[in-house]
Amino acid sequence: MLEIQDLKKRFGDTVALDGVSLSAEPGEVVGFVGANGAGKTTTMRIAMGVLATDEGRALWNGSPLLPGKTVRVGYMPEERGLYPKMKVGEQIAYFGELHGMSRAEAKRSSADLLEQLDLTDRADDHVQDLSLGNQQRVQLAVSLVHDPELLILDEPFSGLDPLAVDVMGTALKQRAVDGAPVLFSSHQLDLIERLCDSVAIIASGRIIASGTVTELKKRETRQLRVSVETAEDLTAALPGTVVRDGDDYLVEDADDQAVLQAAMGAGRVTHFAYDQPTIAEIFREAVAR
Amino acid sequence: MSPKNTETSNLRGLWLVAGREIRVRGLSKANIISVAVTILVVGVLAALPTILSGDDTTRIGLAGDEAAAMEQQLEANPDYELTVYGSVDEAETAVRDAEVDAAVADGRLYVESGADRELRAVLESVYQSAAVQTRLEDAGLDQSQIQQALATEPLETVTLSDAEVDSALDYFTGMIISVVMFFMLMMPVQYIAMGVVEEKSSRIVEILLTSLKPWQLLGGKVIGLGVVAAVNLVAIIATGLGVSAATGLLPDLPEGTATAALSTLGWWVLAFALYGTLAGGVGSLVSRQEEAGSVLAPLTTALMIAYLGSIFLLNAPDSLIARGLSIVPPFSAIAMPTRMAVAEAPVWEVTVSIGLLVVSALGALVLGATLYKRSILHTGSRLKFTDALRRAA
Repeated sequence: MLEIQDLKKRFGDTVALDGVSLSAEPGEVVGFVGANGAGKTTTMRIAMGVLATDEGRALWNGSPLLPGKTVRVGYMPEERGLYPKMKVGEQIAYFGELHGMSRAEAKRSSADLLEQLDLTDRADDHVQDLSLGNQQRVQLAVSLVHDPELLILDEPFSGLDPLAVDVMGTALKQRAVDGAPVLFSSHQLDLIERLCDSVAIIASGRIIASGTVTELKKRETRQLRVSVETAEDLTAALPGTVVRDGDDYLVEDADDQAVLQAAMGAGRVTHFAYDQPTIAEIFREAVAR
Repeated sequence: MSPKNTETSNLRGLWLVAGREIRVRGLSKANIISVAVTILVVGVLAALPTILSGDDTTRIGLAGDEAAAMEQQLEANPDYELTVYGSVDEAETAVRDAEVDAAVADGRLYVESGADRELRAVLESVYQSAAVQTRLEDAGLDQSQIQQALATEPLETVTLSDAEVDSALDYFTGMIISVVMFFMLMMPVQYIAMGVVEEKSSRIVEILLTSLKPWQLLGGKVIGLGVVAAVNLVAIIATGLGVSAATGLLPDLPEGTATAALSTLGWWVLAFALYGTLAGGVGSLVSRQEEAGSVLAPLTTALMIAYLGSIFLLNAPDSLIARGLSIVPPFSAIAMPTRMAVAEAPVWEVTVSIGLLVVSALGALVLGATLYKRSILHTGSRLKFTDALRRAA
C-alpha cells in the first residue's frame, strides 16, 4: 500500500506543498484532482524520488518508498518522456532492461504490451512518427513494461481522443484488478468519476477533500429532488426550504417522508430522489470553501 | 524477474545507456553517411600524391665508351631502369621508338623532345664522373686509386633556423591531426550536450533516474558517444594509413607518421574525457535545446582556440605561444599532438602536458558529474554554474 504522509515543500518563497497526505490500497484506483499549480506534480515527483521533500515521507507497505529498490513503480512524468528517434518496440524493451529485466524478458514484455495497446504494427516505427495519442500509449507501455507493483501517473489522459481514453482506462483498471495501487492525476473529472475508487482533491498544496467516491458524494449537502404532475405551484405546499429548478422542486431541511406525503397529495409523483453530486460539483464546492 | 529490486547493477546500467547511444547515434543514417564520405575523402587524399605523380621510373638507354661506368653508378637507384645498347644508333632508335625516355651515348644526350631539368642534371653529373673515370684509367691509374680520388661525401645540410618545419609532409600531417582532433571533439561534445538536454527537456530523465544513478546516465552517454567517435576516428586513420601503405607512399611519409597517428588516438581519449564530461555537465544546466549552444560556448571556444592555435603552431612549433598552448590544458589536447608531428618536443614538455591533461580530465569528470547530478532534475530556467555547484546534491 502507498502512503504519503504530511509532505511539505517550498520553492523559495512559494509554498508548494503544505502537509499533503494521501494513500492508495492494493487494487485501488485513486484520482488526484486539483487546479493547475495546486501541487499534484510536486507530490508525485517527491513520491518518485526525483524531487527532495522538505518534510514528510512516502511509504510503501510501511517502509520508505524507494522506486526500483523497495518497489517496482510505473511512472509517467508530467511532460512526456520518450526518445523521438528510437523505435517503439526497442524503446519499450530498453526501459524494461533498465529496470533490471533480461533482454529476452524485456522484449517479450514489450511485445505483449504493444499487443494490449493495439500498437503491434507500429513496433518498428520511430516514436516521432506516431500520432500524439499513440505516443501516449507508448508512454504507458514504458511505465508498465517491468510489471510494476504501483502506478504513479501524472496526467495520463491529457491529449487523448475518446478511443485512446478507453484503452488507457482499461489498461489502468486491469493493473488495479491485478492488485497494484494506481494513483493518477487528471483534470477530466468525468473520467475520475468513472475510473476511480477514491479521490483526493488538492488546492494550494493542501488536501481539502479525500475519500472513496461514494463517501464523498454522501458527505455533500444533499438535496431532495421532487417532480410532481400538477399545474399548481407547490413551493408553499411542500415542507422545508423549497426552490424551483425548472419543473422540479429542490427541498432542504425537511423530513423526506413528510415531503413525499405532501407531494403525493398534490398529484402523481414522477421523481423522488436525493441528487447525487458529480465529482465536478464536489470539486468546485471543495475548492470554493 | 527479481521480486523487488529492479535497480540495474552499476556496470549493466552504464553499458545499457552506452549501448543505446551507440545503436541510436552510431548506426543512424546520418552518422554512417558522414563517416563513409569522410573515409572516401581521406582515401582519395591519401592516394592523391601517387595518382598525380604516376609511374616515376625513368628508362634510360646507354651506349658508347662511358656506358659501363655510367651503368655502374646509376644501377643502385631504383628510379632508373637501364638498358645498355651495342651502338649509338641502337640507342638513338630506342629513344625514337620510345623504348627508353632518354639515352646517353658518346657524349650526347638523346631525348624525344627536351629532357626535364632534374634528369638532365643527374645524367650530366653521372656522365662527367664516368668520363673522368675513363680518362683516369687511360692515364694509368688503377681502380682503387680512382675510387679514392673520386670519393666525396655528399653535402651536409645545416639548417640555421631550427624553428623551421622540416618538410611539407610534416606540415600536412600536423594539419590533418589538428583538423581531425578538432572535429572529433567538437561533434561528440555537441551530441553529448544535445542528448543531455533532450532527456532533460522531455522529462525522460525522470523515468531514467528511477532505475539509474546520474553517473551511470552521464557516463554511459559519454562512453557511448565516445565509442562512436573513436570508431569513426580509427576508421579514418586506418583508411589514411592503409591507402598510403597500399600506394607505397608510406615509406616516404616522415618518420613517425604512424606513431603520430596512434598517439593522436591516445591524446583524443584524454581530451574526450575532459571535454565530454564537461559538455554533459553544462548541458544539464539548461532545459531547452536552444540554450544548449550558449552554455557550451566556453567549451567550443576553448576548442576553437586550441584548433586555431595549432594551425598557427604549424609555422612556429618552438615559439613561446606554441609551447604554452601545447602544455596548458584544455588547449594542449590538440596543440601537443600537432606540435609533435611537426617538431621535436622536449620529453619533459610532453610529460608535463600529458600529466596536466590527465589531471584536468579527472577534474572534469568530477565537476561534470557534480553539475549533472545537481541540475539534471531542475527544470525551468537555466541554472547558473555557481548555483548548480552550491545546490545540495
